[in-house]
Amino acid sequence: MSNNIVLLKATKLSKQYGPVLALDHADMELRAGQVHALVGSNGAGKSTFVKILTGAIAPDSGEMLINGSPVSGDTKAMLDAGIACIYQDSQLVPALSVLDNIMLGRQPTRRFGFLDRKTQRAMVMALLAKHDLQLDLDSPVLALPPVQQKEVEIAKALSLNARIILMDEPTAALSHAEVEKLFRSIRRLREQGVAILYISHMLDEIFEIADQVTVIRDGKVRLAVPIAEISKKTLIETMLGQELAAESRATHDQSQSTAEIALECRGLSKIGLFENIDLQVHRGEIVCLTGLVGAKRSELVRALFGVDPADRGEIYVYGKLVKIRHPLDAIKLGMGFVPEDRRRDGLFMNLSVGWNIIMAHLSSVTRLGLLSQGAIQTVGNAQVTDLGIVPARLDVAPRTLSGGNQQKVLLGRWLTGDTQIIILDEPTVGIDVGTKANIYGLLHRLAAANKAVLIVSSDIEEVLTVADRVVVMAQGRITGNFDHTQVSQELILRAASGEVL
Amino acid sequence: MVTEKGEVTAKDTRSIVPLQRFIRGYGLILILVAMTLIFTAIQPAYLGLDNMIGILYQVSLIGTMAVCSTFVIMTGGIDLSVGPIVAMAGLYTVFTLTDNGQLLIPGLFVGLLTGLVCGLLNGIAVALFRLPAIIVTLASMSIFRGVALLTGGSSVHQINGPPSFLFIGSGQIAGLPFPIFIFAGVALLMLFLQTQTRFGLNVFAVGENEEAARLCGLPVIRTRLLVYIISGVGAALGGIMLSSQVSTAWSTYGGGIELDVIAAIVLGGTSLNGGSGSVHRTVIGALLIGGMNNGMSMLNIRLEQQLIAKGLIIILAIVFNDKLLKWAEK
Repeated sequence: MSNNIVLLKATKLSKQYGPVLALDHADMELRAGQVHALVGSNGAGKSTFVKILTGAIAPDSGEMLINGSPVSGDTKAMLDAGIACIYQDSQLVPALSVLDNIMLGRQPTRRFGFLDRKTQRAMVMALLAKHDLQLDLDSPVLALPPVQQKEVEIAKALSLNARIILMDEPTAALSHAEVEKLFRSIRRLREQGVAILYISHMLDEIFEIADQVTVIRDGKVRLAVPIAEISKKTLIETMLGQELAAESRATHDQSQSTAEIALECRGLSKIGLFENIDLQVHRGEIVCLTGLVGAKRSELVRALFGVDPADRGEIYVYGKLVKIRHPLDAIKLGMGFVPEDRRRDGLFMNLSVGWNIIMAHLSSVTRLGLLSQGAIQTVGNAQVTDLGIVPARLDVAPRTLSGGNQQKVLLGRWLTGDTQIIILDEPTVGIDVGTKANIYGLLHRLAAANKAVLIVSSDIEEVLTVADRVVVMAQGRITGNFDHTQVSQELILRAASGEVL
Repeated sequence: MVTEKGEVTAKDTRSIVPLQRFIRGYGLILILVAMTLIFTAIQPAYLGLDNMIGILYQVSLIGTMAVCSTFVIMTGGIDLSVGPIVAMAGLYTVFTLTDNGQLLIPGLFVGLLTGLVCGLLNGIAVALFRLPAIIVTLASMSIFRGVALLTGGSSVHQINGPPSFLFIGSGQIAGLPFPIFIFAGVALLMLFLQTQTRFGLNVFAVGENEEAARLCGLPVIRTRLLVYIISGVGAALGGIMLSSQVSTAWSTYGGGIELDVIAAIVLGGTSLNGGSGSVHRTVIGALLIGGMNNGMSMLNIRLEQQLIAKGLIIILAIVFNDKLLKWAEK
């Protein structure tokens, strides 16, 4: 259709926060019928850029043209100009129907302000038909799978006549199959001449869906090319800069993994979830537990840590049969656990970073039964400095930190005590490439310090990068166990789909 | 809840924190000072020493109970059953005094034990059986009142000594009524628990994110049990203070007192959602309510008008503090 017309042209956008130049003369062109990926580490300036486009903040300098005419103003003005944004966190009302969500606040009315449901339904059906979206209009949004919720948000954006749609980490909550489904919707939008700005940490997805990519680092546009002209390696290096790129390739001496078994389970079962699991993690070894969504990996590690204990089977720590019925039992045995959903299950969002770090090892800062503020400061400061948490303060709330820094706070919680066995569930989901590199470096350091590391990860690339040994699960059973020297993407995928290898 | 997103730079956080903290810490005190100034401007006697002592004396009962209930609310719970505990504790203390030849210690012991048992029952229902606190304590409010009426009958029980018991509610030390010392002592004890002990941190953690607390190995159930026990014991202490003050025990005492207790806590800024709050803020909340009651009485405002004004001022104070905080966070 109307391909290649420049819908939005931003020139020399700058925004300064105090001494920090968040955005530094950034240019960008969004064309009709193009998916334009915007990538960069956290703090690179992506959010600032998006906020300027949605009108949430005004740039200090620079200008924006939509269809050749300058635009500026608040969020309402930007919406009217045809820019809609689909945020990472759902902006829908879960209890309302799809129909009401799409038209929320703009429902057609009859006399006396009564809702005109018939017209509303007709309008929405016409819209969905035009864009080839299939949604059950009467289902409440909360009953829909995550991918359909995204589609409802897309429909809502389209109902506002948006020609430019920003998508911030749209696949964060989606499973593999659902991502494909979302991509089909995105491709349809592209065919209809919508310009899409696609913001994501998932580089694989970007290579699959994007036409054009812009890389921001430290507020500056470093690269803006068609996606076909760039390799993944170059892309990562451009995002990271030299130093961090080196860190992400760090490794430890893997010969140590023949050492003593730190954590072992035999015949571990939980009815309806997993069965007969035998697993070993040696000291100084990084084991990645991978598989498809629904393989019950999280359930297994939660059982190991005593969050939801197993029904049958035995757990051994350093060869000794142990009973783990509660997380406290696991902690006393020197285990640590970073849960998958760090906001929901991990962090105390409104308490201070210092307290968050110390919370699992309160006895180490207790003197004569009382909490020692001095000890908390010492322990906390050590972690904040060591992990490079930004800002390097103990008295801020994690709520105000970026995802990567939040994850570092959680890691700090377990590095504080004498943790010898650390379990991490999807430790890098939703985390920018820069912090990812930090975390990989840290995991290698832990292994080098003879600690046992068990990681649940769905990211095959991550598994291949960090693991000394890869254990694959499918439908609650272990279907593969590979040394890092023999493992390959193909083997993992075959095992993950249920083939016992 | 707020869905805060985006990357906060170091500079942002640093500049926000002190002002935000100042308002969090002192916003309420500013309101208290403003109220005092207004009442004093109209009626200078308000600021007199006698009147200040009077206010403290008047708030000591509610204040003592409120600081003891603060932890319950900080864990995201609520205790509506404090009213009948006041009545029961008063009754059983008096019964024990009568049965034991007016010995003070057994009387106090039985009174406080009453509060402990009631609190424990609430705690078991909330912590172990995981029932919603508002429903549990609504039900136990009814049950406890029923028990109080059943055991105490409908008549007023006169207290005939001992003097040591009557001293609790109406004695004086250095010109200050003894209940003020009880309030101050209990508040300091609670503040100590909150800021210096692991229990205090557990209360914050459980209120803020129970699952995270569990994953940190914190004793979630024990913490919940304890906060209800403390609230019950605090109510019992209130009952003993009240019965001593008026030299009577009655099965209907403490009716509606839970609203004043909760108002003091909430006015102090402790969130009903749990996670935030503080004992010292509850003290200020209680002082605000006490000062308001006293000031309006001094100005000869009629009771019905006082009630309306009190409700409005509570709402205004909360809105004002909230707006101030939001403004500071910008």
